[in-house]
Amino acid sequence: MKLLRDLLDKQVVDREQVKIGKVDGLVAELRRGKPPRIVAIELGSITLARRLGTWPGRRMAQLAARLGGKRHGEPHRIAWHKVKDIGIDIEFDVDVRQTSIFAWQDWLRDRVIGRIPGA
Amino acid sequence: MKKLVEISLGVVTSVGGFLEVGSMATAAQAGATFGFQLIWAVVLGTICIIFLVEMAGRFAAVSHHTICDGIRERFGFNVFVWPLLATLLLSLMVLSAEIGGVAIALEFATGIGFRWWALPVAILAWLLLWKGTFGFIEKGVSILGLVTLCFVVAAVMLKPDWTAVAAGAVPSLPAHDAANYWFMAVSILGASISPYLFMFYSSGAIEDQWDKSYLGANRAIAGLGMTFGGTISVGVLIVAALVLATQGINQVDDYHQMPLMLIPVFGFWGFVLFIASLAVACFGAALEVGLQQAYLVAQGFGWTWGEDRKPRDNPGFSAVYTVSLFLAAIPIMLGLDPLRLTIFSMALTAASLPLTVVPFLFLLNDKRYVGEHRNGILSNAAVIFIIALGFVLAVVTIPLQILGGT
Repeated sequence: MKLLRDLLDKQVVDREQVKIGKVDGLVAELRRGKPPRIVAIELGSITLARRLGTWPGRRMAQLAARLGGKRHGEPHRIAWHKVKDIGIDIEFDVDVRQTSIFAWQDWLRDRVIGRIPGA
Repeated sequence: MKKLVEISLGVVTSVGGFLEVGSMATAAQAGATFGFQLIWAVVLGTICIIFLVEMAGRFAAVSHHTICDGIRERFGFNVFVWPLLATLLLSLMVLSAEIGGVAIALEFATGIGFRWWALPVAILAWLLLWKGTFGFIEKGVSILGLVTLCFVVAAVMLKPDWTAVAAGAVPSLPAHDAANYWFMAVSILGASISPYLFMFYSSGAIEDQWDKSYLGANRAIAGLGMTFGGTISVGVLIVAALVLATQGINQVDDYHQMPLMLIPVFGFWGFVLFIASLAVACFGAALEVGLQQAYLVAQGFGWTWGEDRKPRDNPGFSAVYTVSLFLAAIPIMLGLDPLRLTIFSMALTAASLPLTVVPFLFLLNDKRYVGEHRNGILSNAAVIFIIALGFVLAVVTIPLQILGGT
């Protein structure tokens, strides 16, 4: 498997098949004398902004921290050992509700969308 | 039998998607100024969009990816960000133009200025997306869209010189106003080959859960649907050429000149039919473009998406179409001329084509996505032609806009 080709930018779903984002980044561990090993994937705007450059990455991290508190100043990570299935989507054995990945969507639902009649 | 129903439904749907403010306005302008001479641009645009739509549907049916997913996955985020931004921005302009089209139709119907209609139109469109399902939107748009067939009926009843019509299908050099002629050709191409159309189509294929068994239906729907759509555009062009020119209008620079088009054929009902066609075609397109904005963002970032879910289960997705619709209403509320906006955004769409069409060449030839169903020589030749056309359009649009724009 070629990591960048076959993993990066693929759709990520949780164990309930909820689409939770794309593989925005990969975290690898460099090992002396052995090939590097993937330890986690990263999701979210900070990782995406870092791919565009150092400056956008830093600004996005500051913005996220300001909007969502310190907790959101770092990209979301899912450990690689949680991976269950790699197909059209990549399934991880996690429940998105127990992560902070959708904190902004929850905020949007509770504060805005959910308050509009008919939602 | 079920497939047959499915195909006819799909054909009707694609007609609804094809005919919108852009194709109506550009065809009417071209007919009034250059007679039948620009029919070739409609034909060329229609052939191009047939190929692209077929490929978008095939890609979705075989790989279970939308075109948007495919571009992001195959080329990475740093490449994807360009077509994403270009399409979002252009679609917002097109959405504005569609809202403007409905608002103008309502102005004709009521006498109340179009600016006042922009917000009510946006709210109605939003309400339908908020409460409706994909099937409801798709079928509603298509069935109402059939009213635009009145242009084809009118074109036939006007008994045009069919040899002249056929001659118009062959590209020729203009006798006058060369810059304006080429600018109109570019706008017609932009109106026919719209990225939102094939992106929406691939999202629809996923929403309707297409698989490989739909490949035949996909081909039929793409071919027949877009041909019907193109035929209606040609109908508009013929009517404009025969009616507007005889009434001394050889330059349509205002929507107010257009409702006259159908009156010589249908009398008072011609006025009603024109208003209904404009309103329905633009409103349908506004729904589809608004929805496509949400698809694009949600698919691009991997959020849950789907028009059949409740907004509360899909907050990010529903926020995107909500914001898009209301942002798009603002320029019309401020009194921006809808016709100018339409023509301008169609030309820019043509210029943006390389960004969205180049990926087709890679995605549709990649075995990992489409396996044995990858492009044959004909489809690849078509994509390469469209890419080349797109690059030419991208280079000439801005100079032509300055020299020949209205």
